[in-house]
Amino acid sequence: MSWLQLKGVTRRFGKAEVLSGIDLSLEGDEMLVVLGPTGAGKTTLLRIVAGLDAPDTGQIEMDGEEVTHWSPAERDIAFVFQHFALYPDWSVRRNLEFPLKAPRQQLASGEIDQRVGWAAELLKIERLLDRSAARLSGGEMQRVAIGQAIVRRPRLFLFDEPLTNLDAKLRESLRLELALLRQELGIPAIYVTHDQAEALSMGDSIAVLAEGRILQQGSPEAIYRQPVSPVVARQLGQPAINILSVQRRGDAWIGPNEAERMPALSGTGEMLLGVRPEDIAPEGGRVPGVVRVVEDAGAAWILWVDWAGASIHIIASKERRFAPGETVHPRIDAERALLWPR
Amino acid sequence: MRGSMGRCRDWTQYAFVGPALILLIGINVFPLLYSIALSFTNVDLVGGAWKFVGGFNYAVAFKFAKYGAALRTTALFVCVAVAVELVLGFALALALKDRFGGRAFTLTALLVPMMLPPAVIALFWKLVLNGHYGILNQCLGALGLGQPQWITDPDLKLLSILLVDVWMWTPFMMLIALAALNAIPGYLYEAAAIDRASRWKVFRRITLPLCAPLLGLAVLLRATDAIKQFDLVMAITGPNDPATQTVSALLYQVVFRDGKVGLGAAYSYVVLVLVLALASVFVRYMSSVQRREEAGAQ
Amino acid sequence: MSFLECRDLVKTFADGTRAVQGIDLRCGEGEFAVLLGPSGCGKTTTLRMVAGLEKPTAGQIVLGGADITDCSPAERDVGFAFQFYALYPHLKVEDNIGFPLESMGLNRQERRQRVADIVERLGLGALVGRYPRQLSGGDQQRVALARAMVRRPQIYLMDEPLGTLDAGLRLEMREMIRAQQLDAGIATLYVTHDQEEAMSLADQVVVMDEGRIRQSGAAALVYDQPADLFVAHFIGSPSMNFITGEIREDCFVAPGLVWPLAEPVRPGPATLGVRPEFVRPDAKGQLRAEVVRDEYQGACRYIHLQAECGRLVMRVADRGREAVGASLGLDFARVLLFDPVSGKRL
Repeated sequence: MSWLQLKGVTRRFGKAEVLSGIDLSLEGDEMLVVLGPTGAGKTTLLRIVAGLDAPDTGQIEMDGEEVTHWSPAERDIAFVFQHFALYPDWSVRRNLEFPLKAPRQQLASGEIDQRVGWAAELLKIERLLDRSAARLSGGEMQRVAIGQAIVRRPRLFLFDEPLTNLDAKLRESLRLELALLRQELGIPAIYVTHDQAEALSMGDSIAVLAEGRILQQGSPEAIYRQPVSPVVARQLGQPAINILSVQRRGDAWIGPNEAERMPALSGTGEMLLGVRPEDIAPEGGRVPGVVRVVEDAGAAWILWVDWAGASIHIIASKERRFAPGETVHPRIDAERALLWPR
Repeated sequence: MRGSMGRCRDWTQYAFVGPALILLIGINVFPLLYSIALSFTNVDLVGGAWKFVGGFNYAVAFKFAKYGAALRTTALFVCVAVAVELVLGFALALALKDRFGGRAFTLTALLVPMMLPPAVIALFWKLVLNGHYGILNQCLGALGLGQPQWITDPDLKLLSILLVDVWMWTPFMMLIALAALNAIPGYLYEAAAIDRASRWKVFRRITLPLCAPLLGLAVLLRATDAIKQFDLVMAITGPNDPATQTVSALLYQVVFRDGKVGLGAAYSYVVLVLVLALASVFVRYMSSVQRREEAGAQ
Repeated sequence: MSFLECRDLVKTFADGTRAVQGIDLRCGEGEFAVLLGPSGCGKTTTLRMVAGLEKPTAGQIVLGGADITDCSPAERDVGFAFQFYALYPHLKVEDNIGFPLESMGLNRQERRQRVADIVERLGLGALVGRYPRQLSGGDQQRVALARAMVRRPQIYLMDEPLGTLDAGLRLEMREMIRAQQLDAGIATLYVTHDQEEAMSLADQVVVMDEGRIRQSGAAALVYDQPADLFVAHFIGSPSMNFITGEIREDCFVAPGLVWPLAEPVRPGPATLGVRPEFVRPDAKGQLRAEVVRDEYQGACRYIHLQAECGRLVMRVADRGREAVGASLGLDFARVLLFDPVSGKRL
């Protein structure tokens, strides 16, 4: 049985059902990423796991015990918020000590110093310890906020989009640090985000949440490669997956005006064809398309191609140059393409 | 918020509200109900036997010419005072919105009238407006502009009281208008500048509509307060002067000078109904503003 | 002849902050230029000076041949999209979009027509009767963009218009902005701190840091031939790998690595830069490294490695997970050399 389990968790605010029958599981040494757009119910879910809010129906079990009605303190959880909740007038050290001085903790002062030192070293903020929190940069503040969460060595971490307010560059380096740190501590975590790159790179497991329901839970590879629906498929990948309406005709899937999209391996009737931009080669197909825009993505080109009545994205290698207006012949890798009933 | 915390909150919430509730009932609710009872009797201040007279007091109230006149005076006073204070206060706020040297001093100076007790203000203005030795007429005389009898001329009496009320309450309007102006984010003005709006258009399309909800609240507060106008009238012309007799002054006259408590109670209930009608208009206005805000927050 | 030209633009704020310290910027007719840099680099201040929302301390701004340095925003002909939308909260969507037209002397019919056009192009039809508060962040920004575009100004100015949106929505809006701009053919100055956004949108990327321009040019130029360490680090995701060492006998030498150079370079301390996609696994490669973490990205994987000469990232196509702790041999396909003191590329 899993370490943390949510069973049929439902939460209503007035008439609106924010969470509908959520089932989730988390192993004892895992980072679970909940991925979903704004308003999907991510934060409510996290608050319910933390005990800051209670479900209308459903159960939460932690390590074999039912904790649905436990207080946050009883659950022994650390919560890192999107808006860093530091006390601005205090020094970094005092901010880090604060969670250790809670009445339940009862640690000796030597133990507190040792824990603060340990967290500061881990997060590389030793030189900031005596600075006041108001004088930190955004990235430093978020590090201290994470420090506040880890000094206590809780049973479970909850992260609510902790990197959202940071610069792109900083986000990239902190997401790696955070994942490594959690691995080292061996404490399970739930991480909520709307950023698919964060989800793919940090999650041992990803749960895709939309409109209060879990659409799919699985490993990043499973979610990216075998999404159960176009909605899930669109949540991951940059640029987004191409989705085309197709019909079976002979041994091919065709689009409007009989244009062949892809050789058919199986299936019949009308379907939705999903194909990731990296799984289309710009040349090798039969139907011509016109390059509309060439975007430079650094390591590769992103082409916008008008292809027989559809607009598609292709990730193309930089070994060749492309120009707007140029004719290409896209070829879809049929092995990697996905088909959903329309 | 439920779960383990919910149970202990059940009784604490009453413990917190309890004392305030008891005070409210003792000081507000009981007298209100008691005075309703009084309005149906012929009780007077001197005491003695009193009896139930049914709607007699109310019937008298509507026939009494002085009462109609007092209502008209009050209505005139409220409309003129609140309108002038609103326009002047908003204009002052616009002038003081931006930073300039001496702004803090000017603001403080303008707020002085709000800090003084109304009785002191009334007595002070009574001196200023005195027809013979008042400083205003001294100045007007020195300029050769004549010496209007501010306090004794029946045509000028109400104007004088209005003048004092405006002097006293314009700063309040200014404060609220300043708060409303400061709440408008600067980027909206930047956006309007980019959209090439003229200054007049910015005022009409951005500043005014965004200040309106708060100014509406200020007008409501001022109007309900001005309806009760008593202290200035009492101190400057006395409660029984036909030119300036507001409803509150009339009530005072009826109850405390003529001693007719039952009749006074009936008068005051007619006024209460009028005030409630006015207030409900504004409450409805405010809640429509609030609904608009909430609809957006979803 | 460039359409927008900023000459030696300087902005020092009243508190002494030197936000912009001499910017020379050119943007051609119909060109999409992106000001890119970390927060506090002066990019937004530069944009606000072009809009007239900030008065330059020194320098000159020329737009369409006219010197507009001392003009108020209303005297300039610019459209501006604010980071936090800055919609008029008390006006409905259609009135927000139509607001800039009210000062143009158009009659009601023409104004309606113009609003209807842009509403249709941006797909805002269902929202015209709503108030800004009733819209999601993405829709609010769409309305703000419509308001900036409705007047067909001389130039569009955009201040991190996508900064507050969800990642997924950001991609979608980015394409919409680019498509609109291409259709309208109006010069655009766009501010962002997201290098990926900059690279994908820009005809010209202007990389800024500490109030100065570090490098400007096409995305491919700043990516392939960064002028200095800052640009090399800032552009590209994940960031370029840097190895500190020295140049000795036409070789770059660092712990565990002797890299022969194609062309002779002056001897002395140097930093070797190599993009993650040019780090390739090669069993015979002389550099050995241990896998620290495998970061899955769907289309590819970033393999984080620990080598004797420091931490490296390798970008590879997705062919299954690398085991943490495994040892790999590495080869570099293309490298750049930098002077570690001045930061300039050698």
